[in-house]
Amino acid sequence: MNLKHRMVSLMVCGALLSPAWMAMGETPPPPAPDAPPAELKTLDQEVQGLKKDVVDLNKDLFVLQEQLLFPANTQVALYISMDVGTFFALDSVTVKIDNKEVKNYLYTAREADALLKGGVQQIYLGNLKVGKHELVAFFSGKGPVERDYKRGATINFDKGVGAKYLELKITDRVPKHQPEFMIKDWE
Amino acid sequence: MGSLIAAMAASSLAAAPTIVGREAPDFVLRGLDGRNLRLSEFRGQVVLVNFWSRSDGDSRQQMPALDRINITYQRAGLVVLGVSVDDDLRRSKEFAAAMGVSYPILFDTGTKIGKDYLLQKMPMTILVDRSGVVRYSAVGFKRGGERVYLDQIRELLRE
Repeated sequence: MNLKHRMVSLMVCGALLSPAWMAMGETPPPPAPDAPPAELKTLDQEVQGLKKDVVDLNKDLFVLQEQLLFPANTQVALYISMDVGTFFALDSVTVKIDNKEVKNYLYTAREADALLKGGVQQIYLGNLKVGKHELVAFFSGKGPVERDYKRGATINFDKGVGAKYLELKITDRVPKHQPEFMIKDWE
Repeated sequence: MGSLIAAMAASSLAAAPTIVGREAPDFVLRGLDGRNLRLSEFRGQVVLVNFWSRSDGDSRQQMPALDRINITYQRAGLVVLGVSVDDDLRRSKEFAAAMGVSYPILFDTGTKIGKDYLLQKMPMTILVDRSGVVRYSAVGFKRGGERVYLDQIRELLRE
């Protein structure tokens, strides 16, 4: 291949590789004044990626911690839900397991509102030995006609080898115009 | 002997443990009006938490000053919370009602919050920024002393 052929092939390659504006013999357009530089864009993408990694790692660590601290064979989880709430405004819940207080929770107006809107809160997570246990929950708040209201609910349950899930349910008993407090055992 | 005295002086001058720079430990307490308030629900606002005791003269002197701060800056996004650490709840409530301040007064009869916030002397005032981090802490109060943390409040409100 002589020099002339080489020059021609280089020019062809250059035309193919260069952008259209080069082939058309125009000057490159100036970058948009507000557009961030390419390095900043990639840096931002890297930061976003790192943030996502941290969130994922945090999630994995949380699951691992739950598994280590509350192994499935001893785990007891207690949830609370509220339905309607016409006859009861929740203020606090105290939970006793085998006559030992394990949780005392004060509700803010926002938290009580979240429960009324269908939210379910995990109020307690702990460990219990296999066997028979008693759980007592005390609910306090404002009852019908804005009166101070305190009621309790009790459940005797068998803790097996698997995790145990219990739910404190506050519902309205419309015929009696009173709230009702139940503890449901999720078998 | 001289070195012993020097060591004792140095230990007494050593900085008291502080929670500045750490995330403010969350708490939920019952207020004078019967409502429960949780610190973390004020995330996004600058919060001044004032731990006080009825039996402490400086605390009593500080409350009117905090009331003026609350009235002036609440529209700018400042939340002032007074936390009584007295054991006698009834007398503490009576005192708080008599003071008639415009900001919520909460009552802590336990010991956990005191430990979390490393309370040593009354009154103690802390400032929590919009992201929930303790940015300033002051112990004690002298007349006109609110000017010291007023600058901090303005700075945090501007952030």
